[in-house]
Amino acid sequence: MRLKKGFVLREVCSEKVIVGEGAETVDFGKMISLNDTAAMLWKTAEELGDFTVDELADALTEVYEVNREQALSDVQKLTEGWKEAGLAE
Amino acid sequence: MKEIYYKVADHVFALETTGNENVVFDLTQYEPFVTDPTVDVVFRLRLCPTQIDMNDFSLEVVQEDEGQSINAGRIGERPCFQFFLHEKLKGVLVCSTDYRHGEIYAEDCNAFGINNALMVMYALATSDKHTALFHSSVVSYQGKAYMFLGASGTGKSTHSRLWLKYIEGTELINDDNPVVRIHDDGAIIVYGSPWSGKTPCYRNVSYPLGAIVLLAQAPQNVIRRLKPIEAYAALMMSISGKRWDKRLADGLHETESLLATHASMWHLDCLPDEEAAKVCCKEVSVKSGA
Repeated sequence: MRLKKGFVLREVCSEKVIVGEGAETVDFGKMISLNDTAAMLWKTAEELGDFTVDELADALTEVYEVNREQALSDVQKLTEGWKEAGLAE
Repeated sequence: MKEIYYKVADHVFALETTGNENVVFDLTQYEPFVTDPTVDVVFRLRLCPTQIDMNDFSLEVVQEDEGQSINAGRIGERPCFQFFLHEKLKGVLVCSTDYRHGEIYAEDCNAFGINNALMVMYALATSDKHTALFHSSVVSYQGKAYMFLGASGTGKSTHSRLWLKYIEGTELINDDNPVVRIHDDGAIIVYGSPWSGKTPCYRNVSYPLGAIVLLAQAPQNVIRRLKPIEAYAALMMSISGKRWDKRLADGLHETESLLATHASMWHLDCLPDEEAAKVCCKEVSVKSGA
């Protein structure tokens, strides 16, 4: 999986949102709110380029007190959401 | 060569012409903004009454609005914009990568091409200067500016008209493209500009910001404050810019964040009627933290 080009994580009044700022996404027309955990995973996914649910789950267990099974399930749900919103492919 | 200097929102820019071409372009709307020559300009635009070879043009983004469209891309490294009116090419702007210098190619020196080139250059050259060229209709009332935002066709101009008609002391500052600048002392100032859409209202005036109101058509008039994140979204939609250039996007983000945090921002569900203007004026002019 990878994040689509042209989406940028921005901090607005201490909230984190994804906005379309690329040539491909300037007409995205909406913003997606992320909580702190999702924002951390977004940054990880950005750094990785091509990423897997496993890799993001690793990142999650490194930073938060969460068991691997829970981490996998959370990341699965989050990334499915990203795909549905058109943020990842 | 002839150079004319203009000052909009305290940013000076220069328009250069060869001085002997047949400039059929009417500069009347720019006259209130004429200023003294200076070296301290945000950009220079040179008028080239010739054609440019577009063979190496690569397209990045197409933006369309009400019969007008802009094809943005580049020729080599240089940013380039084609301006179309009803699908007819009226001018081509080619800029330096820092957007400090531009050339507008328009054989007939038509106003459409040159106005668009100046607006685009202005928006690009000031994106990193806490300055934003808005798509908005804006009025003054009791010494403050009240800006109305909304998608095309929402009724921004109509809402301004309602203030002018029903609220005494209201004046139109600009009907389509005002400029907002956040100064170093934090003051948020709204400026008239030489661009105002279909309404010839080119006033060189400025007012401290009173409030920004996002309009939506509705069967009743209801006003509420925007949450900061909603305010940010409304600003993003209403500010011109080239967000796929990261440096410019970062500049606009800074301006939009500051406005979303510090400006008095509202959402108005409204009818095109007297009550809409009165409800809006009463609420935003009293509670704008003025």
